Amino acid sequence: MSSHQKPVISLKNIYTAYEGAEYPVIRDVSLDIFPGEFVIIGGPNGAGKTTILETINGLLKITHGEAEVLGMNVSSKGNNIRKRVGYVIQNFAFDPMTPFNVGEIVLMGRYGLIGPLKKTGEKDINRALEAMKVLKIENLKDMPIGKLSGGQQQKALIAQSIAKDPEILLLDEPFSNLDLLTREFVSEMLGEMARKGCTIIIVSHAFDALPDFDIRIVAMNEGRISLDETCSPDEVENKIRSISGEIQNA
Amino acid sequence: MLEFLISNNIVCHAVEAMLFASLSCSILGVIVTQFNVSSIGFTMAHAAFAGAAIGMFAGINSTLAAIAASVLVALLIGPVGEYSKMSTDSILGVFFGMTMAIAIFFIAYMQYLGMGMSATALLFGDVVSLYREEIYALAGISVISIIFVYLFYKEISALIFNRKIAEASGIPVKPLYYGILFIIALAVALSLNIIGGLLLFVWLVTPAAAAYQFCHSLKSMFIVAPAIAGTVSVIGALAGLAWSLPVAPLTAIMITSVFVVSMILSPKRKISYRKPY
Ligand SMILES: Nc1ncnc2c1ncn2[C@@H]1O[C@H](COP(=O)(O)OP(=O)(O)O)[C@@H](O)[C@H]1O
Ligand SMILES: [Mg+2]
Repeated sequence: MSSHQKPVISLKNIYTAYEGAEYPVIRDVSLDIFPGEFVIIGGPNGAGKTTILETINGLLKITHGEAEVLGMNVSSKGNNIRKRVGYVIQNFAFDPMTPFNVGEIVLMGRYGLIGPLKKTGEKDINRALEAMKVLKIENLKDMPIGKLSGGQQQKALIAQSIAKDPEILLLDEPFSNLDLLTREFVSEMLGEMARKGCTIIIVSHAFDALPDFDIRIVAMNEGRISLDETCSPDEVENKIRSISGEIQNA
Repeated sequence: MLEFLISNNIVCHAVEAMLFASLSCSILGVIVTQFNVSSIGFTMAHAAFAGAAIGMFAGINSTLAAIAASVLVALLIGPVGEYSKMSTDSILGVFFGMTMAIAIFFIAYMQYLGMGMSATALLFGDVVSLYREEIYALAGISVISIIFVYLFYKEISALIFNRKIAEASGIPVKPLYYGILFIIALAVALSLNIIGGLLLFVWLVTPAAAAYQFCHSLKSMFIVAPAIAGTVSVIGALAGLAWSLPVAPLTAIMITSVFVVSMILSPKRKISYRKPY
């Protein structure tokens, strides 16, 4: 987590715009994130939190600035980056009749990594099973994903993103559908992953269990970074509250 | 190819053509319907239709013209949407109207000029006057469709589940997407003479929609949809020729009937208290 390491994510004066939009949503953002850091991104609705996650994994077009992730240029090597970066999307809604079960969805996390024209192997299936065990959804393996509750679907998507053994994990409000107990063990799992060197970036307002090491808080407002501080876990709640307060007063 | 089964040459060729056209269209139809790009399939079918009409009018190979028009529209949808800042659906509506107008314009004009016979084949299909090469091409596109789905099954299934999640997982979504559109363009253009521009959509959508009613996995849909389409098309061709009925419209009605029956019988719509879900 120290600055003599090479950052895994390095954004320099980044602007990101949606197709057809007149103004960029992300404006002049610079951010260096180091291996194993646990980063919480906060800020009001529409601040650009989702947009910055999708800038990091190259799903959105960077109009200005330089972005490097895992040593690769985001604009030209986006696909190679995404094979090694997990992403749990914020908004999902699945057709109740969609012909996929939980086991397939979790395994799907590894498809990019496996690559085209190659079959899924035993290792892939084992990793998917382990991920389901971690999320305690192995009993849902053969259930159609469309017929599960929002929280169960959320757990399947989190399992999917960890099945690929990501070096960076991006989570966009992953707790919004989860019950208290689940929020706790997912938070613990994320802390454990960070301790093993995975960089965790999580957009969230509520934390029920934080890892026992320093946490970096990045607050966003109107497409810019308004605060970027590292603090101890017991300061996090106050910090997050003060961000929301500052923004409301602004 | 099936001469050993059916001795009458015309009937044999008609059955072969219907079988191969239905296999490729229904396999690709699973992707088209599940990936929610029915309107793209629809528009491409009509672009092929317009291309064929132009080709026929200009005296160039109408199948090649159909392929060209269909591919062109597939390639234009994305960029035109970006340029005009309109939703894909509106763009497709515009393209659809335009291709339909072009096709009907040329067909009507050809009828006026006395070139009417071959032009109606474009509208409603014709299984009787086929070239051997057309049947080989249809067999070829069926094989290509099957191989494509087999080779890229993982990627296709992820894309169908959720495009954003597929892309985030590192699947090369764009090349795959354009690959799918290109194969659809080929299948649609080659099936045009047999099934007709007005009915192509039935083969692209209805067998997959019927399979969806009772398939719990994507894999089974890729088997059930062509099984339905192939069986019904062969029966349709035999029945149509035996009783001198228009083959493609008859078969289209039969496929639609299968869809209605499968929807009524669909286990997915039933509530079962004995099973755990
Ligand atoms: N697909 C889109 N097209 C155009 N603008 C968008 C799109 N998605 C989000 N925006 C705009 O970008 C801004 C930031 O959105 P987002 O990053 O989703 O905010 P949040 O911090 O709530 O995640 C919002 O003002 C929103 O209007
Ligand atoms: Mg968001």
